[in-house]
Formats: sequence, C-alpha cells, structure tokens
Amino acid sequence: MTLYHPIAPSQKSGGEDVVKFDIYATFQRILQDDQMSPPLAAILTLTEVIENSNAGTMFELVKALNEGAEVLKRQAPNPISPNAGCELFIAFVTLFPHDSAAKQNFSDLKRELIRQGQQYAKEALTYRQKIADLAVGFIKDGSVILTHSYSRVVMQTLLLAHKRKRISVFVTEARPRGLGIKTAEALTAAGIPCSVILDAAVAYVMDKVDFVLVGSEAVVESGGLVNAVGSNQIAIIAKAANKPFYALAESYKFHRLFPLSQYDLPSHNSKIFSFTQTFERDPGNLLNQPSNNPSGSAAENQEKSNDSLAGSPAKFTQEHICQSNPDVDYTRPDLISLVFSDVGSLTPEGVSQYLVGMFAD
Amino acid sequence: MSVPTLTDPPANGSTSAPPTKPQGQPTQKSMTKAERRELQEKQRAAKAALKAQQQQGGGQPKLPKSPGAPQKKAQAGETSKQAASAGREAVAAAIDEATGGKAVSRSLRIFTHFGLPKPVSHVKGDIHPAIVRLGLLFSEFKICGANARCIATLTAFKSVIQDYTTPPNHTLSRHLMTHLSPQITHLVAARPMSVTMGNAIRQLKLEISDSDIDMVEQDAKNALCNKIDNYIRDRILIADEVILKLAGNKIKDGDVILTFARSSVVEKILLGAQEEGKKFSGRFLLNKLTGGSNPISCTYALLPALPSLITEATTVLLGAHALFSNGAVYSRAGTALVAMMAKGHGVPVLVCSETYKFSEGVMVDGFAKNELAPVKITKATSHPVDVTPSQNLEILNPLYDLTPATFITAVVTEVGLIPPSSISSIPLALGKTIL
Repeated sequence: MTLYHPIAPSQKSGGEDVVKFDIYATFQRILQDDQMSPPLAAILTLTEVIENSNAGTMFELVKALNEGAEVLKRQAPNPISPNAGCELFIAFVTLFPHDSAAKQNFSDLKRELIRQGQQYAKEALTYRQKIADLAVGFIKDGSVILTHSYSRVVMQTLLLAHKRKRISVFVTEARPRGLGIKTAEALTAAGIPCSVILDAAVAYVMDKVDFVLVGSEAVVESGGLVNAVGSNQIAIIAKAANKPFYALAESYKFHRLFPLSQYDLPSHNSKIFSFTQTFERDPGNLLNQPSNNPSGSAAENQEKSNDSLAGSPAKFTQEHICQSNPDVDYTRPDLISLVFSDVGSLTPEGVSQYLVGMFAD
Repeated sequence: MSVPTLTDPPANGSTSAPPTKPQGQPTQKSMTKAERRELQEKQRAAKAALKAQQQQGGGQPKLPKSPGAPQKKAQAGETSKQAASAGREAVAAAIDEATGGKAVSRSLRIFTHFGLPKPVSHVKGDIHPAIVRLGLLFSEFKICGANARCIATLTAFKSVIQDYTTPPNHTLSRHLMTHLSPQITHLVAARPMSVTMGNAIRQLKLEISDSDIDMVEQDAKNALCNKIDNYIRDRILIADEVILKLAGNKIKDGDVILTFARSSVVEKILLGAQEEGKKFSGRFLLNKLTGGSNPISCTYALLPALPSLITEATTVLLGAHALFSNGAVYSRAGTALVAMMAKGHGVPVLVCSETYKFSEGVMVDGFAKNELAPVKITKATSHPVDVTPSQNLEILNPLYDLTPATFITAVVTEVGLIPPSSISSIPLALGKTIL
C-alpha cells in the first residue's frame, strides 16, 4: 500500500524514540484522569509520541505513530479501545493536508498536529453531554432501566434523566471487575432508586425492565458492540423478551474491526477458556492460600501440587476464574436496537455505513 | 370468472376493452410480424364488436359485460397460445390458468425468460474475430467465471480497439463506441451479460467519450488500452490480493473452511492461507487445493450431506457473481442453501467479492433474472442415471441463485470487510467515479 523507502538512519532514530519514551506509562498516566476514556488517552499518548519524535518527514512520523500504536496494543490489557483511538488519530495524521504545510517547517506541522489532537480530545469530552441529551428523549417518565457494569456516558445520561424524570435502575454486578457496584453507589448517592442484581439474574429481572442501556468499549464495523463481558447475554435476553437494547458510544469509539464471532476479537487469546491451565496450577495451593495472592511462586505451586497430587479436589479461586475469562464480549448488530452517539442516534446499519464512509477513501 | 386473473376486466363492464392490451403487449415483442398483425386485427375486431354491442344495448349497461367477457376470454386463450408458441412466460401461464387450460405446456413457461445458452450460429455485421471467438467460448461455457469473463472481454476489446481505424470525418471518441456496440451485442447474444462485464463496459464507454479529440489516433488507442489494463489490474487483480489478505486474517490456525462451487478468489485465499502455514481443511471443492505442492486436507461432500458437516465448519467462504445494493448476493445456484444452513448453525458466512461486482440494481429473488445451465455441464456432474426430458419430465437447471443479505455475515472487498447492509454506501464512499 504505502511506498517503502528504507532509510536506515531515520528508521533507527524512530526505533530509539519508542525506547526512550515509555508509551504505555504515558497512556496509564493520562488514564488517571477520571473523565478520560482509553481511546482519548490513546490519542493524547500519540500526540506525545509526535512531540518526542524527531521524525523529519511525514512518512517517518506515521511510521513512528504506527509503532507507538503497536506498543500500546501489545501492552494494554484490552487492546480494542485504545486501538480505536490510535486508528482515528493515525488516519487523521495521514490525511492531514501536507501541501499547505509543506511550505512551512515540518516541526510547525507537528505542532499543529499535536494541537489538533489535544483539541479533539478536549472537544470529545463534551460528546457525553450530547449523547445524554439525545438518549434522554428515549427515556420515559417512570422507566425501569437495566444497565451493565460502569460506563461514564451511561452515568451521565442517567443523572440527566433523573433531573427531569422519575427513573429506577437495575445494575448488574458485572463480574469479574464488579464495576456494577460503583455504578450503584454513584446512582444511589444521586438519589436514583437502584438495585444491584447478579449477572445470572438478568433473565429473571428482564420482564420488569423497560429497556437496556449500556455503554461500550468499541462499536465495530458490523454495527455490533464490544463491551464488558455479559453485554452479549443481556442483549440476547432483551431480544428474547422484546425489550429495546440501547448502546451509548462516543464516535471515537467507532472502530474499523469486523469480528466474525466472539473468538475473532483481538482481545481473545488462547488463555481464555483453556481447559488444562486451571487444573495444572490449581490443586494444592488454594487450600491454604488467601485468595488475594493468586500466583504465589511457581516452584512452590509445583511442589504442592506434586505433594497433593492424589485426592486433592481441584479448586478455583476468583483470580483463576478471572484469568481464564474474557474481559469483553461482542454483541451482534441484530440484537441492538439503537446506538446513540454524538453523530446521532444510529441503527446498527447506520453505524456500519458511517464507519465505511469514515475510513473508505 | 371466479378466479381473478390478469385478463379479467375490471368490475364495470364499460371499460372491458382496454385491459386486453396489457396482456397482449409484453408478448408482442417476441412474435413475428405476421403474428403481431393477426393479433392486432383480432383486437380491432373485438373492439368493434364491443362497440357495436354497447351501441345496441345502450339502455342496459349490464348487458354488454356478459357477451363481452366470453369473447374476450376466447381471445385471451388464443393470445396465450401464440405467446406459448413464441416461448414466453408468466403472463401466458396465468392466462392459461384463467382459461382453465389443463394443457400444461412442456416448456416450463414461468422459467422461459431465463437466458438459455445458445450456440452462435451466424455472425451479423462487422464482428471482430477476437469477439467471435470469445462469443463461442462464452456460449460453450469454456470461460464462465465472472472475473474470467470480464478479463477476457476487456482483453478482446483491446484487440478490437487496436484494429480499429476511425473512418474519415469521424472522431474516435464519438465513433468508436458505435463500432463496439455490435461487438457487445454479439457477446450478449452468446450469453447474457454479467454484471462485471456491464460495469467494465460502462467504464470503458466513459473512458472512450473522455478521450481527447485532438489526440493522434494511435495514441488515443494506446491510452485506452492502457486504461483497460489498469482497470483489470486495479479492480480485479490487486483487489484480489487485498481480499486475499483480509480474508486470510480471518482464517485462524485449525479452522475448518467450508466452501461451495469454485470461486477464483476463494481458491486464492485458501492457497494463500496455506502458504502462511495455517492449518485448516477445506471441504467441498477443488482438485487444485489437494493437487498443489502443499496439499490442504479436504473433504469433498455433496450438497445433501451439508447438514451433517456444517457443525464442523468454523467459517464459510463463498464467491459471488454479483452483489446488489440491497446486499443480496447473486452466485452459483446452491450458494443460498449453503449460506442459510450456515446462518442457521451460527457459522459466519464470508462472501468474497471485488467492488467492481457491485450492481446498483436491486434484486429480490432468483427468478426475475437467471440463466439456465447448459446440458453439458449438468450431464458431466450429475449421477449416471440418465435423466432425459420426456413428456412428463422437465429438467430445470438455473445457473444462479440469490442469497438475501440476512444470511451473510460480511462481504470481503478490497476496501475492507463490510456488512451486507452497507453495500449501497460503498459506491458513494468510493466517490462514485470508478464504479
């Protein structure tokens, strides 16, 4: 696709950039901000990559950015959402009109790119308010809403709805991270009637619910949704009960990705749901080990498992279960009623058309 | 009169004459001149008779209907016979039913509009030898894939263009197209035009009309040939490479791929994926897969065995003849069956197609437009029991079928994987200039 000019020195310097400048640490630091979501943090991280890069041409710059994105993807626990941001920003940089910039200095261009990136991130923080305004129109007075895990945009929507209407909310516990508790606490503090339900109780509660409202990690090209694990089953149950399933997603979460199945997600790896792993590790060390120290030392584990090879019943701790379970799952587009985003309320087909239009050029 | 049909006049008898026309018209095209005249005369006579009756019984408005209707019916019967003799279609069949005709035609009239492979007997007008040759290859099904046909057509047009000289007092950009259109007509006579050819020819026409009037003729011809080469390269060959890469990403180690019929792109994908060292097994096809230097383990199964095999498959890869803007895929007959079965079992269905196969039209079923497979192909693959058409046995072998968008997970194109529902937005996204 791209023309490749192997210029040895510049390549080298590009590589050194990545080493000198710890991308992942930067990413983590930016994420400290409570309002910052991973795609935006990724965009800001990449602006810092530009700042620290001594690339002299556009080609080198894009290369450095791609490398940075790659590092981020490898190190982040869940590669999907930072990827969406990286993709957006790199597409932006690639398409940024060079011609007008060619007259001026390249470092000016870099400064301009950084400024644009930061401005976008700043602007993007207002998207949640836009989405909340859109979604509130769909919330009727007296609605009972089911939500999943914790999402900033869902919180904002619910709080806004609470100002104008009477709503009550069911929150799933959302294991393994248990972020549903955080949602429930925040909602209760705001005075919204709220109840935490087990992830396994979704089908039980579904008939009482008017609609489902979830946030998202990413919205993908098929119009489907990548979100905290459990969203898919909620969507399936909602479909079976004929309840609308609404997703809220800022447009920077739109991601050019087409998962064919759960196992086609970039976050899927062989550790998830492997049969052998849990058993190899488990026997022995769980009986007397407090659950907050899952790994222990490998040698000790080995020894213990050898000792208690026979007869010891296999036990599973929370940590082991977490490790061999996915963080996110993929919800098919046909299960989703609408996606509210800052570019409008879109049907899943609309999302895919938007995405195709956004990146096809 | 109890069965409402196309031929039935509307409730009020006074307008009973005009409705005969719509039923006569579609069939007229196919008739010979003599037949058409005969029909016209009959209609005129019927009209005159009706008028006379109406004038006679002007006082009682109900009267004209009863004598008028049977007469019309008789006429309808006659027209239908004519239509049948001309080998035409649904309207006629409906008429036959209306007349209560037990005489079921032997020629499956509802399918007679399907393009039949016909030998090119005579060459009309100034047809280039390359086109004559190509026409024969088409009608014999020696070249039959959508890509192969498009490439062959464009290559033949290149030699047509090179051998063409603009007559005096004409310009190339104006006259070349009139020279090409009989060639195209000849190809279409040999076998109905494919969507791919249609798209390519439309692009070629555009290029011809865009070519500079002041250019030296040979230069203009070279430029056109160059454009054709670029089209083949960009829209087909390079597109295939990109598709190969994208679809290859979706094949994981250990996958079982199910495919149907033989698509050049699918073949490339599977061979390409094999080269990358992924292990998987393909079913259903291709001597080529097993015959290569690095054979892929395959199971060849017949379509009736699909239900028991589909559970084993992880992905279904299909080729396409054309894609319509409602997301429907027009492909070799049987594809829809495979896609539906896969959907039912939750197996993702990937359709691999270059964007130049996209058609702006909408197709709702496989009946509106189709082709009949030639007997030769049917014979070669069918079981040894000889099925010969007889008095009570008719063989229908449509070449294509239509898979609705709901049964397709994604379409793999050179611009990425797209859900079938957004196919209509692709031409727009591409700037509409190259489709």
